[in-house]
Amino acid sequence: MPLHDISYKHWDGVHLGLWGRRLVIARNGLTACLRNKWLRHVVVLCWGTALIMTAFLFIVGQLLVADSIVVQWIGNFNPGLQSFARFLTTWLEQHPEISVRTTQNVLFYFFCTYLLRASIFVLGMAIPILITRDLASNAIIIYSSKAVSRGDYLLGKFSTAFGLMALTWLGPVCAAWFLGNLLTPDWRFFWHARTALWHVLVFGLSSMTLLSLIALGVSALAIKEKTTTAIWYIWWIVGGVVAPIAIHTQPWLQHLSFNYNLNQIALAVFHPGDDLTAAQDSIPVLGDMLRNIRPQTMTALNTPTFWGAVFWSLLMVGLAALIIRKRVKPE
Amino acid sequence: MPVRTMRREMSPSLVIETEALSKVFGQQWALDGVNLKVAPGAIGLLGPNGAGKSTFMKCLLQLQPITSGSAKLLGREVGREGREIRKRVGYTPEQDCHIPGMVGCEYVTYCAQLCGLPFDAARQRAHEMLDFVGMGQERYRKVDTYSTGMKQRLKLAQAIVHDPEIVFLDEPTNGLDPKGQAQILELVHSLWKTYGITVVLSSHLLHDVDRICEQIIIIARGRVLVHDTLENLKSRKRGSAEVVVADRHHDLQAACARQQWPCELLPNGHVKVEHKCESLNPLLNLLHELKLAPLEIIPSPNALEETFVQALELSHAAT
Repeated sequence: MPLHDISYKHWDGVHLGLWGRRLVIARNGLTACLRNKWLRHVVVLCWGTALIMTAFLFIVGQLLVADSIVVQWIGNFNPGLQSFARFLTTWLEQHPEISVRTTQNVLFYFFCTYLLRASIFVLGMAIPILITRDLASNAIIIYSSKAVSRGDYLLGKFSTAFGLMALTWLGPVCAAWFLGNLLTPDWRFFWHARTALWHVLVFGLSSMTLLSLIALGVSALAIKEKTTTAIWYIWWIVGGVVAPIAIHTQPWLQHLSFNYNLNQIALAVFHPGDDLTAAQDSIPVLGDMLRNIRPQTMTALNTPTFWGAVFWSLLMVGLAALIIRKRVKPE
Repeated sequence: MPVRTMRREMSPSLVIETEALSKVFGQQWALDGVNLKVAPGAIGLLGPNGAGKSTFMKCLLQLQPITSGSAKLLGREVGREGREIRKRVGYTPEQDCHIPGMVGCEYVTYCAQLCGLPFDAARQRAHEMLDFVGMGQERYRKVDTYSTGMKQRLKLAQAIVHDPEIVFLDEPTNGLDPKGQAQILELVHSLWKTYGITVVLSSHLLHDVDRICEQIIIIARGRVLVHDTLENLKSRKRGSAEVVVADRHHDLQAACARQQWPCELLPNGHVKVEHKCESLNPLLNLLHELKLAPLEIIPSPNALEETFVQALELSHAAT
C-alpha cells in the first residue's frame, strides 16, 4: 500500500510562455549532447585553447608595452630580441590603433578558423541528437501533440546546435579576447582591439547560423544515427580534400565544401591580407619575413570569393530547409 | 465543490464539434464528411482497424491537416489556435514514441514542460502522475528498456501530466495482457468518473469501450455510423432471439406464425424468432404453452453490437 496519496491532482499554476517552451527544447538538446563524454572532452579542449590564447595575448601585450616584465626578462637572455621588443613598443606608441588592431585581428582570424574546425567536429557528434533520434523514435508526434508547433520545435533544435557552437567556438573566442585584453598592461587595448571583436562576432554569429541550419538538414536526412553522422563527417572531410584540388580544375567545386565557404567568409570579414600588408609596410623586420609568403597565398588572402561563398552557403541552407520541411512532420 | 463537478461546470457544453470534416490520403478518403457534436464525458471511438479513428483524432490535434470541413475542440477552432488547444489536451498515440536516452520521470517532466509547466511544478507533477498510473522505481530506468505495459502507462502519464481538459487515447490497451488492460481501463475510467477529465478512447475492441464509456461513436470507412449514449444503444433492441431446441422445430415455427412473428430455421438448427418485444417474456410464455423446453435462448444483439458488426462488415467489404 502506498504511503502517500497517489490519486490524480489538478494543477492550475502559471504556464511558461512560448519562448520558455522553446528554451526547454533547446536546453534538453544541449543536456543530451553534453551527456556524450567525448563531446565534453572537446568542449574542455576548446576552453583550454582559449586559455592558451589568453596567455599568448598576455605575452604579446607585454611585448608591446615599454619596460614590461616580459621585455626585461627577454633582455636577460637575448639583447637582440629586447631591441626588437623595444621597437615594437615604439610602434605601439606611434600607431597604437594599427599595432593592436592588426595583431589581434590576425590572431583572432587564425583562432576563429581553428576553433571552427573543433565546432564542426562537435556538431557532427550532436547531429543524431538534433532531429535523427526524434524521427527514429516517433518523438515528433509527442512534440506535435504538446503546446509547441513545428516551428517552435525547429527553433529549439536550432538553438541546441547554435548553443553548442557558442560553447565550443564563439564563447571561447570571446572569452580569450576579453581575458587577453584584461591582462594587458594598458586598458586602451580594449578600445584598439574592438575591430577584432566585431569581426569575431560578425563572422561567428553568421557562420553559426548557417552551420546550425545545415546541421539540422543533415540531421533530418535519415533515421539512422550512424548514417547522418557519417554524412556530416564525410561531407566535411571530402569537401576539405576536394577544395584545394578543385582550384586547379573547376573552381566552383570548392564551394561544395561548407568549410571552404566559411573560410572565404572569414577572409572577407577579417581581411587578414590587409593587416599583413600593413605590417609589412610599417615594420621592416616583419616585412622581410612576410615577403617569404607565396604570392598565391597573398592573392588568396586578399581576394576571397565572398559572394560565391554566401550564395553556395544559402543554397545549402535552402536545401536543408527543403529536407526539414519534407521530413519533420508528425506522420 | 468536488473537483469533478467543478471541472464539468467549467467545460464547454460541447468538447468536439465537426462539420463535414474530411481527410483524403491520395485517393483514399480516411474521413468522409464527419459531422459530430460531442458533449464532455467518457467517449468511445469504436471501429475496425483502418476505419478512420486515429485520423479523426489526429485531425483534431492538428497532427494531420484537414482536407476540407471544419472542427472545433474545446470551443476553439482547430487550425487557428493549435498551441492553445494542445495546452489543454492530452494525447497517447498508438505507437511507441518516447524520446530515446531519457529515464521515465525525466521524460514525463519534459513533456509537462513542453506544455508550459515550470520545471519544479513539472517534476512534481511527473512523479504524481507516475504514481497515479502505478509506476514504481522503474521510473528511474531508461524508457528504451520498458516493457509494453510500462510504455503504455508512461504514455498515459505524459498525456495527463499537464492536467488537460480532454485526453485522446489511441488504442491504450494494445499489447497488454488482460490484467494490464483492466488496470489501464480502470485508470482511464477514473479520469472522467472521478476527476472530470473528458476521455476519448479509440479502440477496435467493443469490450474496452463498453466497459468505461458513456457515449459511443462508431466509425467505419471514414463515416460516423452512430453517435449515441451507451445506455440508448443498449436499450435499442430489435426484439429477436434464436431459440435452440432439440426437436419439434416445426411446432415452434407454426406457433410463431399464429402469433404473426416472422421466424426461420437457420442452417445451424436454431430457430430465429422476431418477437418484436423488448423482453423475452412473450416468447418464454409461448414456449411454456407448447410445453417445449429450449436448450438455449440467445437474445438479439443490442444496437451497439449490431452497429459494430455492421461497421466490421463494411470494413471487410472494402477490403
